[in-house]
Amino acid sequence: MTTAAHPLTARRGRLQASFAKYAEFIRIGFVNILAFRLRYYTGIITYLINVTVYYFIWRAVFANAAGSLLGFSLAQMLTYVNVGWIIRSFYWNTIDQEMAYEVIEGKIAMDLIKPVSVEWMWLTRAMGESGFRLILLTAPTAIVIALLFPVLPPASHLHFVLFLFAALGSFLLMVAINFLIGTCAIPLKSILALIRAKYWLIELLSGLLIPLNFFPRAFQLISSWLPFEHIAYTPLQIYLGRLSPAASLRRVALEYVWVAALLLLGHLWWTRATRKITIHGG
Amino acid sequence: MSADPLISVRSLSKHFRTFERREGIVGGLINLFHREYRIVKAVDNITFSIGRGDMVGYIGPNGAGKSTTIKMLTGILVPTSGEILSNGFVPWRQRAAYVKTIGVVFGQRTQLWWDIAVIESFKLLRRIYDVSQRDFDERMELFDQVLGLRAFLHTPVRKLSLGQRMRCDLAAALLHNPPILFLDEPTIGLDVVAKDHIRQFLRAINERYKTTVLLTTHDLDDIEQLCRRIMIIDRGALLYDGPLAGLKERLLRTKQIKFILRDGEQAPRLAAFEHSLSASAQNGLLHLERLDEMTCRLRFDRSSVSTSDLIRRILAAVEVRDFVIEDEPIEEIVKRIYSGEVFAAPPGPQP
Repeated sequence: MTTAAHPLTARRGRLQASFAKYAEFIRIGFVNILAFRLRYYTGIITYLINVTVYYFIWRAVFANAAGSLLGFSLAQMLTYVNVGWIIRSFYWNTIDQEMAYEVIEGKIAMDLIKPVSVEWMWLTRAMGESGFRLILLTAPTAIVIALLFPVLPPASHLHFVLFLFAALGSFLLMVAINFLIGTCAIPLKSILALIRAKYWLIELLSGLLIPLNFFPRAFQLISSWLPFEHIAYTPLQIYLGRLSPAASLRRVALEYVWVAALLLLGHLWWTRATRKITIHGG
Repeated sequence: MSADPLISVRSLSKHFRTFERREGIVGGLINLFHREYRIVKAVDNITFSIGRGDMVGYIGPNGAGKSTTIKMLTGILVPTSGEILSNGFVPWRQRAAYVKTIGVVFGQRTQLWWDIAVIESFKLLRRIYDVSQRDFDERMELFDQVLGLRAFLHTPVRKLSLGQRMRCDLAAALLHNPPILFLDEPTIGLDVVAKDHIRQFLRAINERYKTTVLLTTHDLDDIEQLCRRIMIIDRGALLYDGPLAGLKERLLRTKQIKFILRDGEQAPRLAAFEHSLSASAQNGLLHLERLDEMTCRLRFDRSSVSTSDLIRRILAAVEVRDFVIEDEPIEEIVKRIYSGEVFAAPPGPQP
């Protein structure tokens, strides 16, 4: 029976596996990113530069607007940008690039000879990296941004809690999307163009650069059927209290449906792609 | 071979479908829409078994099917047909459970994390394979004694020399004390000292834990020093499977000296030397070839002629700028097997 091929046994192995095993991958992800001091410092500086650029752009835009623009006051808009970049420093990860690199180097074979589920390995590794970002990138960036730029507090305690769940969902969405893209490296080998396309698609469709309600209606309708707006737009709308708690909860629930769907899709795609390697050779 | 083999392989085949790329721009455009496929038989109907504690050398020219066999034995590749039972598992069906009982080293690749200290990778592997802290410490102690790991445990892998990295990779593959160890070119690119380290280590492990080892190599010294049995594969088919002892006299007896003449003036002296050689070659091989203007190759049978004698004779006869002494390459040995020089009845290429 073809269903007995190894990805399924990998899943069984995953169920049996102790948490300790994957906790170790989280640790390794953390240690791995610590290895690059320069990348860390430039990371912080990049975020500050981005926030500064958007600060001046929006001030210029609002200079000609009569107090508010499509329901945003200048203070709200700046908070949107600042909080947006703070959570981006947390949810962003590069496992698609790392997977592409491992495929080109032929290291996927080395992963297959270890008694672990390769999918969970990547997921937990990304968790380690994001843990690192949260403590050493997001926290200092947030402090510096809050000191330099005006940031409004969250709309309410309830909104803040929902915002935190939504931001965690952003991370999971990014992992799921990057895992899907990274797996494409197995049949395609070179996915640099794909990674770049994804980068701009997400910068735009996540609502990080411009709130989505600035776009035409038709565009917003299409976007509401896609997962990307939950990466930044959803948590930021909740933070600013532009959605009622009930509506926020519905949005977060929808976001997690997307997380589940994309993780499942990633699992199926990975199973198919690895079955292809194990049958047709790498 | 013991009665109850640890690894048994029956009628194993792996066929790949590859497509041929057409040349040029027009060909490239056609490739976009239509591909011509061709079946490549990387491994074709091989059968063997390996007993517990054996160390078996698996040799053959590049592209003969060695790595493909190892990949099937480690569960990375699914065979096209045939059976493998290794340590009670079917590798590709029970991958997660099976790989816990094997160690694998691919000489060209590392299983360690590139950017972090070696010890961090070892800690990770300890968790992955559920090795207790006590066993871990004990094995690290042993590995350190033989491989001298301590000096670079806190260095990132990317800063290690090839020999150091190889020692770490071997230790990593054996951390969970697997009954079976697969090695694909474990000594490739290493210097003599590093090779010796690795060989000593493999012998020590084999002796202490009765680890079964299957290794592929291009270095015949690896085989001579480690294996009592060898298997030779070419174009996907097994050419020879048996004790090394019998084959050694027939296969590993040939050495070659390559030497470069000092200048063009040497030609007449070389002709005289060649003449004297053919006069003295009454038994065994002694064959001089000119590879180009200045380079000559002298193949000889080391059981009938002593290497040092021969060098003395060369140096007396012609002025030489440089020379090297080498084993005959595996490709040449395989060629000789085909030509019927080694076996009374050569197996010949499979149809």
